[in-house]
Amino acid sequence: MEDDRKHEKKRKRFAARLNTLKGIVCYEDPRPNVILCNVGQATGFDKQKLLKLLTEYKVNTPLPKFVAEKGESYSYLMFDKAENASLFYEACNGKAQVDENGTTLYVTFVENVPDTDIICKHPNPKGLHIIPDFLTEDEEKLFLNTFNIQHVETTLKNRQVKHYGYEFRYGSNDVDLSCPLQEKIPKICKLLWRRLQHYGYDLGVPVQLTVNKYLPGQGIPSHVDKHSPFGETILALSLGSNVVMDWKHHTGKYVPVMVEARSMMIMQDEARYDWQHGIQPRMWDPVLDVRLIDNEKVKVITSDTVQREMRISLTFRWTRCGPCKCEYKMLCDSIERNIPETISNDVASNIEDIHVHQVYEQIAGHFSTTRHKPWPKVVDFMQHVPAGSIVLDLGCGNGKNILNRTDILQVAGERSSGLLEECKGLTARISGADCIRLDLLNTGLKDECADFIICVAVVHHFSTQARRLHSLQTIHRLLRTNGQALITVWAKDQTKSSYLSRTRAPLLDRHKLTVGGIHLPVHENRTQFQHKDLLVPWNLRSKAPPLQQPDTTFLRYYHVFDEGELDQLCRDARLAIVRSFYEEGNWCVVCMKV
Amino acid sequence: MKLITHNMLTSKCLKGVVTGYPLAINATDIKVKEVDFNPEFISRVIPKLDWEVLWVAADSIGHSDGLPRSLENKYDENEEFLKKAHKVLLEVEVEEGHLTCPESGRQFPISKGIPNMLLNEAEVQ
Repeated sequence: MEDDRKHEKKRKRFAARLNTLKGIVCYEDPRPNVILCNVGQATGFDKQKLLKLLTEYKVNTPLPKFVAEKGESYSYLMFDKAENASLFYEACNGKAQVDENGTTLYVTFVENVPDTDIICKHPNPKGLHIIPDFLTEDEEKLFLNTFNIQHVETTLKNRQVKHYGYEFRYGSNDVDLSCPLQEKIPKICKLLWRRLQHYGYDLGVPVQLTVNKYLPGQGIPSHVDKHSPFGETILALSLGSNVVMDWKHHTGKYVPVMVEARSMMIMQDEARYDWQHGIQPRMWDPVLDVRLIDNEKVKVITSDTVQREMRISLTFRWTRCGPCKCEYKMLCDSIERNIPETISNDVASNIEDIHVHQVYEQIAGHFSTTRHKPWPKVVDFMQHVPAGSIVLDLGCGNGKNILNRTDILQVAGERSSGLLEECKGLTARISGADCIRLDLLNTGLKDECADFIICVAVVHHFSTQARRLHSLQTIHRLLRTNGQALITVWAKDQTKSSYLSRTRAPLLDRHKLTVGGIHLPVHENRTQFQHKDLLVPWNLRSKAPPLQQPDTTFLRYYHVFDEGELDQLCRDARLAIVRSFYEEGNWCVVCMKV
Repeated sequence: MKLITHNMLTSKCLKGVVTGYPLAINATDIKVKEVDFNPEFISRVIPKLDWEVLWVAADSIGHSDGLPRSLENKYDENEEFLKKAHKVLLEVEVEEGHLTCPESGRQFPISKGIPNMLLNEAEVQ
């Protein structure tokens, strides 16, 4: 009796605390939903432990839905009816021990449960097949013994890798057929081909194997296995741990797929050629659930999570020669078109929309915090502008180049609304400053309205020669006769700037991204540029939970300039060069309309 | 958006539009924010502007009081005039509303004091 009173007091104290701290209203009379006051994601309580608890305390109700929000030390159960919730309450509240330390569970009823589930509308990619329990547990042990790579063979940022048959070259994402490796695919794998045949996959024997070892927290960026060097089937055997693999289609479809340990994944058709797949670098995975909604089986990403363990994946490939013959052109490397000569204005505009405009909107807040000081050469130019002048800052960003002067008009134009709002705030107290949202190609400003123009770090975001020229022609159009402009762009040569890291060696391209059939290499930050047209990663620092913010690296398109290239572009736009110089990794030109 | 900025805006980029100037102002929220008065700047910048357009714009949003419709001789020596011009050019701000192209009727929204002059690629010449 004494114990009961003590437990009841404790339970009420928990309920009161949930109310004051989290605004959760607890009820004494039975309802279908209960809250487990003192166990949740933060205390390490998960679905497995719940199932154990239900068995141990003989709760024979239909299985309740378990909802555990990230970072919280409470969780919810949703029963089908109040009677079943009551049965659970009677069996477990103040009685059940939830861990080895003998912590007692406290339960109370609630009306509402937060709906944190995400319904995944799309089916798995066509051509993706996963055979669960492909290996027995004993066979898995044998494979783990053979392939548990202990020392690093290839340096990759996030995982350890070993190759058999042929070395997979990360620079070009292919193999060198003239240089087979001594070490062939181990004999132990023979059982896989026989078993695949048994499942109806008569595929023959692959010639190349890549072993990846992932520790919890490690992942692999979204990619498609390059089309032309490899055959139409790719196999992946998983050992050690389940993992959720993210599949992304260029139409925007996103499908998370549970890849279980001991399963064999077969990638063909769309899954092989038209989807990208990757694994997020994190310690845990969401629990995926299949539910019947409107008589249709639908995949649900629940708020429940499971810890990852060490996972080893074996990727088997067949090699081939010649251009790829697939019918999926979006990610295919055999329809290579080059920037800048041949792409259409539509494709260029699309690249800039995805890899310039959208990126700046998404990173605006963080980007702005990293841009405080104007460059000395820009300040110098702006300080020499005579009183009574009209100055345009085209591509003003957060407005760091606007001077606190009352004797000139400074009109700040910018495409990103996020950056422009920062600029509006920053320049609010400057009497002759104002902001306009505009695009440098179609600028809603009158001809010859400006005495001076600055255009800092903008022109390198246009993806064709024609569009870069168009942007300079706009500057020419807006300047009065004898008006001057300062234009700066990123230089391909970064050797004379502080941009290069002393410790980071220029790696080969780790991967390329294909946008509308255009291949753009992804740059390794703080190393010398290897290409003229490329994508530069921006790592967004964000406090949002990873589930709601799956991508934190954004890729910005840049065309980096050779020496003399900007000068020629100015001359082509009928702007006379006053002076041109290199400053901290940028080519800069002061030019004049004559 | 300050009226000095409005003086420079045009919708000429639009397909089929010849001058696209001046843009009509439709303001739902106007604020007057006091900022530093620099008579030298005002007198030097006025010749670079279209005064008639400025006056009509100020009048259309109810801020043309005491402002001459056309410039007088030696306006740069008239301190009282320069102060009035300063107010209309730099202190009156359209916070919310829209601008309208005089030829096509295309509207450009003004939100949080910022006119949005972006166009779709399909709309441009």
